Amino acid sequence: MRDLPGTADLLGLARRLLLDELAPLLPPEHERHAHLIATAMTIAARELRSESPLDLQMLRAFFCPHPSPLPEGEGEHGQIPSPPGRGRDPRRQAREGEGQSGEADSLLSRLAADLRNGAFETTPSREAAARAILWRMVIAKLRETNPQFLAANGIGPAESES
Amino acid sequence: MAGTASPPFSRDGLARFLTEASGAASVETGALELLAGGAIQHNWGFEAAFRGGSLSGPQRLVLRTDAPTGIPTSLGRIEEFAVLRAVFAAGVTVPEPLFACLDPAVIGQPFFVMRRVSGTAQGRVITTDPALQPHLRRVAERLGRELTRIQTVLPPRSDLGFLGNETLAERIAGFRAYLDRHPRSRPVLEWGIRWLETHLPEPLPPVLCHRDFRTGNYMLDGPELTGILDWEFAGWGDPDEDVGWLCCKGWRFARLDRAAGGIADRADFYRGYETESGRRLDPERVRFWEVFANIRWAIIALQQSDRYLVGGEKNLSLAFIGRRATESELELLMLLDPEGAPPDRCHA
Repeated sequence: MRDLPGTADLLGLARRLLLDELAPLLPPEHERHAHLIATAMTIAARELRSESPLDLQMLRAFFCPHPSPLPEGEGEHGQIPSPPGRGRDPRRQAREGEGQSGEADSLLSRLAADLRNGAFETTPSREAAARAILWRMVIAKLRETNPQFLAANGIGPAESES
Repeated sequence: MAGTASPPFSRDGLARFLTEASGAASVETGALELLAGGAIQHNWGFEAAFRGGSLSGPQRLVLRTDAPTGIPTSLGRIEEFAVLRAVFAAGVTVPEPLFACLDPAVIGQPFFVMRRVSGTAQGRVITTDPALQPHLRRVAERLGRELTRIQTVLPPRSDLGFLGNETLAERIAGFRAYLDRHPRSRPVLEWGIRWLETHLPEPLPPVLCHRDFRTGNYMLDGPELTGILDWEFAGWGDPDEDVGWLCCKGWRFARLDRAAGGIADRADFYRGYETESGRRLDPERVRFWEVFANIRWAIIALQQSDRYLVGGEKNLSLAFIGRRATESELELLMLLDPEGAPPDRCHA
């Protein structure tokens, strides 16, 4: 258990201090750097307080609709059609050992490989389900990094934010 | 960063170079100012007084050289100088290219010098300044005509022999190769790349493409277009590539609703292009190139972040620009799966 105030509060206070008191004192060529830092802090605060934008349940349901999941390494058409270089990246391999995050990354890799190979193109329901995952993931990421861009594209805030 | 940074080279060496290149008796250079923009290249603005020679008198100039790290597909400065000369000769509105220097003894790396054009290139200013708004449809039409002039530069050209002749299929394969090296899966980009491969347009004869023809890369002095900038990505390619790039949502800044670079409807830009070129634009071809543009922009954003992640360039702006790739991914979904868009206030 950490002491209070929490991480989000500290970041919020620091951001206000930066924008309200320090930025007006900066020469014009550095003022935009203050705003850049404030934006980075805002994104970091949002990322800290939200779940991963990857919806693990949705990915599991897409790839493993039945109780016994597909063995690791099998994609839509049997063996994962791993593209050159995929899966051999040490950073990727390290991540794949990180519990749920590793599982989500692994399933996401599988989805990417299947999309690369057009695996769903002959099955409209699978294709629609894959697209739904993509929409959900992209919207969740933008809610963290640029909700204004989402709003400008006609996609409003999540229920909890409205 | 703009303004106060000092150049990492001597002004004396630059003055000597300018003296020799212009045939002047002497050249005195003022302080160099790092100009805004230029994440991949650095642009140093300065004033110089030439005594005699081809530029006799006071001149406002820009020295353009490489930033500490670049991205893989950009041209070198000497090559960019040759492109600038070619389009200047073709009547495209660009800063006049003056001298190029390969000798590392002068400022430590290759550079070229061009005239400084006045105005602003800042996309947010251009798309929001109330004084500019009544003029922007005319600017869009002018950009269409300028693009036609760029496309009068045709291969083969001995002076542009360095420009790559990469096929569209090879460029798409290059996107894939990048994703293979990237540590995170990008399924939206994978799907978009697959779509490109299965929807290749009939090829048209190649022309010179700017490949970064967009708001943010042209200067407006009031309502007047004073220069199309940043030719480091130029290459031979499809005439509709630059059309798709200008209309890509990533370059609309504060006005996502105005498809032609955030400044006008695409009809205004198309009218300038079609009137000058005599060729009607095919909406399906342009859509292909907009999909291509969004994928390319997403990968450039990721590559910019690589300059921090891999190249070690300590720069906050570069460090998080990779997150902007997701904006392109949203646009890809909107272009390729418009029926899948959630209704407003969908709870994803």
